[in-house]
This record gives sequence, structure tokens and C-alpha cells, in this order.
Amino acid sequence: MIIQVLLIGGLLLCLLYAFMQNQKSRLLSKAISIIALTGIYLVLFPEHTNGLARFVGVGRGADLVLYCWLVISLIVSMHLQLQILQLQGLITELAREMALQGARRSLDEGGTGTHLGT
Amino acid sequence: MGQKSQAVDLWVVIPAFNEGPVIGKVVMAVRALCHNVVIVDDCSGDDTGAQALEAGATVLRHPINLGQGAALQTGIRYALSRGAGYIVTFDADGQHRPEDIGVLLDTQVKTGADVVLGSRFLGHAENIPRLRRMILQLAVVYMHITSGVKLTDAHNGLRLLTRRAAERIRITQARMAHASEIIDQIDALGLTVVEAPVTIVYTEYSLRKGQKLGNAFNILIELFVARLNK
Repeated sequence: MIIQVLLIGGLLLCLLYAFMQNQKSRLLSKAISIIALTGIYLVLFPEHTNGLARFVGVGRGADLVLYCWLVISLIVSMHLQLQILQLQGLITELAREMALQGARRSLDEGGTGTHLGT
Repeated sequence: MGQKSQAVDLWVVIPAFNEGPVIGKVVMAVRALCHNVVIVDDCSGDDTGAQALEAGATVLRHPINLGQGAALQTGIRYALSRGAGYIVTFDADGQHRPEDIGVLLDTQVKTGADVVLGSRFLGHAENIPRLRRMILQLAVVYMHITSGVKLTDAHNGLRLLTRRAAERIRITQARMAHASEIIDQIDALGLTVVEAPVTIVYTEYSLRKGQKLGNAFNILIELFVARLNK
């Protein structure tokens, strides 16, 4: 089926990405790999999701995949949120440092009116 | 205070964002009483920095706009690096009276407190709009309930920090919620705090600008959000 080819293509790209990320973060790389491999397996054998779904108490396999996807998205967005906050803190520190380095004092105070290293 | 020499290690930190029309006057008025004035220009689009420089202040400029809380922290850090013994935070829009810096200092000397907060409700608030008074009093009640610090004015930009306090307080709330953050930290760090009566002059400019309470309602929201983010 065409959809299977498309999905597997996308998941293989994920695997490739995970492989390239391996040096940056082992954990993240492993997590992506496992999710992508599971995805490929379920795309190839969709009937297996139904059995798994019934086992955990969900009606259809497709629903189970959707729920899992939802949870993964939430985790990812929280992770991003934390990173943004961290970045904001770093940017603030950086901007503050620049401001402190560039302190200026007026001429009549014995300053140069321009740059004043601290 | 009176004489400059008495307060050689007193630094006045004024965060400013687009205050070009008034900043020069404010700096000159403060410098008449206190020599060390540092303006933190929070990436203003107007000539705030140049005006402040001309009026004799030391000017620090954020390369990007970070908010008033961040500007205060920058100024405090600079003042500490210059050996400040006392740091006064002061608003740029002309709503504070320079004479009140002396009141804060006297109060500190008398009580030995780590932090002296200006209170418009112990002192005077000239032309304070009724809604603003109400919102500010709500904020006071809120701070009292949530942090246990009993104050009459929770959102006054005029405060005095001793070096000991300034070294410990870390303002991380970049925007307006820093006022309550400071009070929270005073409480958490076990610093002693007293209030001193000061006068707030609600000029037409400061009201229009609405630096502190542009939309009075926002501050309550920010207080709430800041609490959630902890």
C-alpha cells in the first residue's frame, strides 16, 4: 500500500536523524530510534496494534497509536518549553554582560563619554 | 542625607525604557542629592540613554529589551561591582521624589534593616486614581496571604537595599512580576524589612505612560502567573 511506503519513508528519516544525533545525546537518539522502529513494525503489521490495543483496553489499534502520539507530543513540547526558558535565562545573562561591559559615563565625570570598561 | 559626602557608597539604580522626555530631569534631580546614578536603558527606541548620559548618569544599555526586572538586576550588579554599600531603586518616570531617598536611608540607619521599602500608603500618593488604589491594596492583601510579609504597599519601585541584601536577592522575573519576587525573596532569605513613608506623584506623564501599572489588571495576572511558575 502507498500509505505504508510513505510512513516507513518518514520513519526511516527519523531513524537517520536519530543516528546523526547519537553524538549529541545518546538518550534522545535511543528514544527516537525505539519509537521509529516500533512505528515501522506497526506499519508493517497493523493487525498487531489491534491485539495490543485490546490488551491495554483501547478499542482500536489506530486509537492506541493516536494516544501514544499525543503523549509523546506533550512530552516533547514540555521539553521545548524548558529549553526556551533556559535559553531566555542565558540570553538575559548575555545581554546583561554586554550592558555591563559597555557602561558609559559622561564627560564631566572624568569618563570618555563613550566606552567605559568595568 | 543632605550632603553628598555622607552617602558616597550609595548608588541609585534607575531602569528606563523610552523615558527620553523626562529622564534628564529625573537624573539631575537625583544627582543633586546623590552622586552615583546608574541608568539601565532597556533598549529604548528614543534618546533615553543620551539624555541620561548628558545629565551625568552612568548608562548601561541592554542590547535587547529584557524588561524592568532584568534591568534592575543589571543595575544592581553594576552598583555592587563599583563597591556600593547601599542601593536605591528608583523609577524613571518622575513619580518618585529624590528627597525620599534620604528618608529610606535614615530609616535604614535607624532600624538596621536589610531592606527598606517605600510605601505610598504610609506617606502620600498625590492624585492617585481610585481604581489604582484599589488594585494596589488588593496586591498588598495578596502578598500578605502568599508570602507572609506584611506590607502596606507591594508595588513601589522606590526601595533601598543594603549591600548584604543586594548580593543575595536575585531578580529572575524579567518583566513586571519582579516586585513581588523581591518581596518573596526577602522573606525566603530571612532578610529584615521595614517600610518608610514616601510620596508618589502621579503626574500626567507617569499616568499616561503607566510604567508600573499601565494596565492595572495585568499586575494581578502576573502575580498569579509568577506563583504558578515557581
